Amino acid sequence: MKCVRCLVGEASVVAKAPDGSGAWEIYKCARCNFGWRSTEPESITDPAKRDPFFQLDKVDLNNLIIPCPIPPLRS
Amino acid sequence: MFKDLRSFLKKLEEEGQLVHYHDEVLPEPGIRAIMRGSADLGATGPAVLIHNIKGYKGRKLVVNVHGSWANHAIMLGMPKTASLKEQFFELERRWDKYPGEVKWVTGAPCQEVVLDSFNLLELLPMHKVNEHDGGFYLSKASVVSKDPDEPDNFDKENVGIYRLQVQDANTIAMQGLPFHDIAIQMRKAEAKNEPLPVAICLGVDPMLSFMASTPIAYDLSEYKYNSALTGIPMELTKTTDGFLDVPAGAEYVLEGEILPRVRVPEGPFGEFPGSYSGARQQVVIKVKRVTHRTDPIFENLYLGRPWTEIDTLLGLNTCIPIYKQIKETMPEVKAVNALYQHGLTAIIATDSRFGGYAKSVAFRAASTPHGISYVKNIILVDGDVDPFDLVQVMWAMSTRIRGPQDVIVIPSTPGMPLDPGSEPPGMGCKVIIDATTPVAPEPKMRDVKMVGHIPEAAAFQKIISDLHQKAGCRL
Repeated sequence: MKCVRCLVGEASVVAKAPDGSGAWEIYKCARCNFGWRSTEPESITDPAKRDPFFQLDKVDLNNLIIPCPIPPLRS
Repeated sequence: MFKDLRSFLKKLEEEGQLVHYHDEVLPEPGIRAIMRGSADLGATGPAVLIHNIKGYKGRKLVVNVHGSWANHAIMLGMPKTASLKEQFFELERRWDKYPGEVKWVTGAPCQEVVLDSFNLLELLPMHKVNEHDGGFYLSKASVVSKDPDEPDNFDKENVGIYRLQVQDANTIAMQGLPFHDIAIQMRKAEAKNEPLPVAICLGVDPMLSFMASTPIAYDLSEYKYNSALTGIPMELTKTTDGFLDVPAGAEYVLEGEILPRVRVPEGPFGEFPGSYSGARQQVVIKVKRVTHRTDPIFENLYLGRPWTEIDTLLGLNTCIPIYKQIKETMPEVKAVNALYQHGLTAIIATDSRFGGYAKSVAFRAASTPHGISYVKNIILVDGDVDPFDLVQVMWAMSTRIRGPQDVIVIPSTPGMPLDPGSEPPGMGCKVIIDATTPVAPEPKMRDVKMVGHIPEAAAFQKIISDLHQKAGCRL
């Protein structure tokens, strides 16, 4: 399954309802790390209905802000 | 006082400040709706223990524990009706009792169950705190870590609350900002290409959550402050590998390490200014072991458009350090109200030693450790104005400010990156609004005399209040 946010990464099941009810599954994108539950509304789970502001399909993830940059190695 | 979350919840229930919700609720959007609704009850709202989350049968979640000033007062051992100003000065009094004693115990409750195999997204009743969050967050976790260069220095063992995105069974992305204490430790560990051990503590005693979100100096111990404020020795135990010190009564402890020199996408997350932060590249924690109490209670916090639990949790613990630091050299300062968005706006009541003095107080506030990045709007009022009473503050602003002399903007200062007004993130400004009355040698305002206080009124307030109640008022 393609990620609903970056539209590129592969998403897989990372959790299921622990009570065995089958109530929901949680998916996670291996590329942008977006996580969502199958029972969330379509405004979150359907790329066509998601708020474009929160999409990462036109973003180079390597250019995201790094609040704490990696420091030089200490010799 | 309360040595763990459970004893606090018991007290809240006795005081009518904890309610149980037993109907089935979906993780999204049900849980955040309960969190938002309980926060909207305002200064007297209760904590809510949620018992029946769809898919998480048997798991318990408590929210809004610090969500009202009534609960905050109970945390301090005060009557739940204690005013904000009374709570401020009670905390201020206890602050000087630092350092308190800590003690170590074995066979701690937080290690009654030890798990080496787990899936955090199934073990904990996780939920989206806000609709457009990038995933499932721990929003009230106390993260414990040591200084890699001084692992035996207990005072530098840090306890801080940082946002944590649980990304899969054992992976968590964490936001530590450059001015956070843990960033010092991350930098040292990464410079040596070493992992930084961490313990993520969930459901701790209420004063530890309070201290973990307090901006204190790097070499001051949150645990010792906790003991000083509660008056009872903080009970700690060692993590199962014997390295870190964790609260013995925590509901859950996630033991792991920050991987060196790795960053992964994290976010967005609805943050304390009431806005979403963007997606970021953040550090990664791998969780290796989970310990928890029998029948554990997961605690999480709502934050979003104010007023929410985080505004109460970060309220007085933002005010007190700024007040204490200014007061050291400026005894004329009477109180500091920095309740608004972790101190982005602060109101300071001060007498003026000489003309222009209040503006010097503002400079001092802006250069305190927390003030450097956070304190943006600084409103100064006279010492006889209660800064926690916004009616009085608005009166002072309405009647004292002379625009050209009293409103100053200092551009290009450090800013708080999560403030939407910080552009680029991390840069900001200082806005000083001096609503104090000028004193010599500054020229006086027009020759006006303010109406004074009426000291006889307090007695009549009580008499009239009693008459009001007898007349049928049920307030």
